[in-house]
Amino acid sequence: MAGGAHHHPQPRQYVSIAIVLAVLTAAEVALFYLEAGVDAIGQNLTVPALLILSALKFYLVVAMFMHLRFEKRLLSRFFTSGAILAGALYLITLSVLGAVVLF
Amino acid sequence: MAIDVAADTVEQAETTLFRRPRLTYGFWSWITTADHKKIGLMYGYTAFFFFLAGGIEALLLRIQLAGPDGAFLTAAEYNGLFTTHAVTMIFLFVMPISAAFFNYLLPLMIGARDVAFPRMNAVSFWIFLFGGLFIYSSLIFGTSPPPVGGNLPGGAADASVLGSIPNSGWFIYAPNSGATYSPGTAVDYAALGLQILGVASLISAVNFIVTILNMRAKGMRLLRMPVFVWMTLVVALLLLFSLPIIAIALFMLTFDRQFGTLFFVAEAGGDPILWQHLFWLFGHPEVYILILPAMGIVSETLPVFSKKPLFGYPAVVFAGAAIAFLGFGVWAHHMFASGIPTVAQAAFGLSTMTIAIPTGIKIFNWLGTVWGGRVRLTTPMLFSLGFVALFVIGGLSGVTHAVVPSDWQQTDTYYIVAHFHYVLFGGALFGLFAGIFYWFPKVWGRMYNEALGKWHFWLMFIGMNLTFGPMHWLGLQGMVRRTWVYPEEAGLGAGNFVVTVGAFIIALGVLVFMINWSYSKRRGRVAPNDPWDARTLEWTIPSPTPEYNFAVEPTVTSLDDFWHLKYDEDEEGRAVRKEKADELVDNLIHTNGNPDHEIHLPAPSYFPFIVGLGIMFIAYGIMYHTRPYGIPMLAAGAFVTIGALFAWGSEPLEEVGDDHHGEEDDLEPDGSEASDHAEQQH
Amino acid sequence: MADIAHGHEEGGGHHQLTGIDSRKLGMWVFLSSEFLFFGALINNYLLFKGRDFGPGTLYPVELYDIPFTSISSFVLLMSSLTMVLAHSALARGDQDQTKTWLFATALLGTIFVSGQFFEFGEFILHGLKLNINPAASAFYMLTGFHGLHVVLGILMLLVLAFKSMRTGGLSEAEGLNVELVGLYWHFVDIIWIVIFVLVYLIQ
Repeated sequence: MAGGAHHHPQPRQYVSIAIVLAVLTAAEVALFYLEAGVDAIGQNLTVPALLILSALKFYLVVAMFMHLRFEKRLLSRFFTSGAILAGALYLITLSVLGAVVLF
Repeated sequence: MAIDVAADTVEQAETTLFRRPRLTYGFWSWITTADHKKIGLMYGYTAFFFFLAGGIEALLLRIQLAGPDGAFLTAAEYNGLFTTHAVTMIFLFVMPISAAFFNYLLPLMIGARDVAFPRMNAVSFWIFLFGGLFIYSSLIFGTSPPPVGGNLPGGAADASVLGSIPNSGWFIYAPNSGATYSPGTAVDYAALGLQILGVASLISAVNFIVTILNMRAKGMRLLRMPVFVWMTLVVALLLLFSLPIIAIALFMLTFDRQFGTLFFVAEAGGDPILWQHLFWLFGHPEVYILILPAMGIVSETLPVFSKKPLFGYPAVVFAGAAIAFLGFGVWAHHMFASGIPTVAQAAFGLSTMTIAIPTGIKIFNWLGTVWGGRVRLTTPMLFSLGFVALFVIGGLSGVTHAVVPSDWQQTDTYYIVAHFHYVLFGGALFGLFAGIFYWFPKVWGRMYNEALGKWHFWLMFIGMNLTFGPMHWLGLQGMVRRTWVYPEEAGLGAGNFVVTVGAFIIALGVLVFMINWSYSKRRGRVAPNDPWDARTLEWTIPSPTPEYNFAVEPTVTSLDDFWHLKYDEDEEGRAVRKEKADELVDNLIHTNGNPDHEIHLPAPSYFPFIVGLGIMFIAYGIMYHTRPYGIPMLAAGAFVTIGALFAWGSEPLEEVGDDHHGEEDDLEPDGSEASDHAEQQH
Repeated sequence: MADIAHGHEEGGGHHQLTGIDSRKLGMWVFLSSEFLFFGALINNYLLFKGRDFGPGTLYPVELYDIPFTSISSFVLLMSSLTMVLAHSALARGDQDQTKTWLFATALLGTIFVSGQFFEFGEFILHGLKLNINPAASAFYMLTGFHGLHVVLGILMLLVLAFKSMRTGGLSEAEGLNVELVGLYWHFVDIIWIVIFVLVYLIQ
């Protein structure tokens, strides 16, 4: 912890990250409003694009605001196992229940 | 509880809200304790009390089924009893008694003075206790009228109090558990009670994980930890990741019943199968939560009583971890009869079979451990061997459930009942009894009575096989689960009679155990400090365990460090006891029992107890929110809980005058030790 | 950060083999399990949102006010910034700024929760009652439990903020509490990042 301390970003950097987060959010909302107007191919791309944008935001908050980038690997292992396990289990559940088509 | 209660309550007058309680003996010392050993004992006694309750429920069930057309219980009473028997044995006995072992032994086995968060440890226990009492309070307050337009044969309305306890199976399947088919409050007691128990388990899971990762003795790398510690870690991880799922499922059920939501109401667009998924997403990891502690225990006892190291230690550890990991991917094998897609059936059938691989690895390693060893057939060893034998039978019948067509035949028959009792009774319970006898001298400083122990074992072993063996045949003959009567023409009478006789033999065995326990802990032969010639750290300290565990923090240089202190290997790799072994052991134990400086221990606190109490009242408040007293109860419970948590946060860690680093929050153990360890860390 | 970090290593108690303060490790371990908690709630909503509950019913998606929710999402996102600034100020030993940013975070959180109350109120006025159909129930349960997490976070923030008003400000140990509450707060934020897209934007 002490070792990682001086690598932590400074307030200025935190503000820049927050600006990036705000821009990404704006992009999400913009995509949402664009969706109605574009053709079928564009619509198929909207969902993946939204997912990617939110994943980016997710990553930025976890890595920078929660400092996970600067922490011991053990913590990211716990955190990612929880996230991946939840994603996998519920994806399978939804597909067995017929709400998501996996194959 | 058979806790020595001293009438003495000195110093009571001095205690104020923010001064920590100081008593080290007597009733209040148990209420306020943060000592992992006392908490472990309280877990153990509470769990055993519930074990007796669950056992009596089982006996009542067996009396009803002893012959055809039984009239001892009504259908409603039968439903309540089989449900509460299962809920009790799983959530109020096996899980908490495993927690008792974790609590008492984990710090000792890793060479620590307590767990990472002593007060959170206490709060886990109190929440568990009040959750258990909450479930059982349904005996008094619960209601279970028949559903509209339906009635149970034998008359549910005039059933005794036994009909008012939770009655929809331990898995509380929707839609049977919904408000339509289960009016009254019986199911609410199960749903809210299990929710409370889940909170307790989640807290202790976090606590144990942090304890194992952060507080091991110097030199104890992960692959030098005793297998029991490994299994504790694995169980804690399983709890951590499975409990949130059942929490949501239980919330949904509670919402359906209390606030009229329609999650599981098929005719309104809800999905009863969703309940099954969520339940078994938790429920299957749960069965490994029940069995892995016992596997950890026999992995400790078999080597000791065979005078050999554990055969294939890394394999046993990795197999345990693999079982846990795979255990998350097999839940739908409980649902083969629910109409899930064919691909899913095949996939879950296959994944279920793969569990047999790590399980088989463990069994062969245990056999390899005993093979060629100098076996001592003491009571714990008998129970351990019984565990291996019976678990193999239960494991094999489990594999037959992985085969989908075969499973369709077995679903909801006594074959299933036979299977899970072989793994849970023959497996978990035998392993736990092995542990109880093995560590008895550590806890009480006295030996149990070996003759009574052997009687206990043989009564249990014979009784268990008479009880659950014939259930395989009964099930394959078509006897369905959860039936309260069967007709004479079905030809099931003889088998059922044997089962009932077996159940009473088990009860006799338990009685022998209780006599042995209560006699031996006071009058038993004084135990030597290392009675079994053991290999793990808890035997390097005096018995009974001193309050501070280790006067000197141990350092570990290898797996089974204590064993290597006593034994060398000759050219053929056989263990040879060192000449000076006895002297070395005596010295070590003497040092560990005589601290040369004052050792600070986690201070007791009132608040864990109060938090547990408050949470119970929150649950009552939710259940009775439509009654005039419901909301006030809810508010009072929430106020007490939050207030106690706040006071907890503000509680001074140490008494005034302690030389301490100024930490105010003791989520950390005995922070005052920090000064001793500061040098080690830098 | 340096002095706080150092303080913890000394004062943090036992061995701490991992080099991570036990309380912090415990918080991360707990947060890992929260994925399964919120995952189940999202799972329920995704399952039911596509179901047909017959004529005459109402779906949450029909009432979404995306501009409104976008703004409240933005507010919660910015509360993560103020939270991290509070932590960073404390690490520099700047107690004044710590106090300011803690209160700011609690305020932004309160705005978010009030927005949610308003949204729930609007929805209910339009007839989307909790028990009208499972999709509505799943929506309320998901956003409600998230909101409850935010409320708990606000309470913890307020306790810290008021403690920081004492002379001398927050002690070293309380400094770790700021970090822990921060972790919790950011976690609640990332869950909302996921909910915003999966529940509101992908229809």
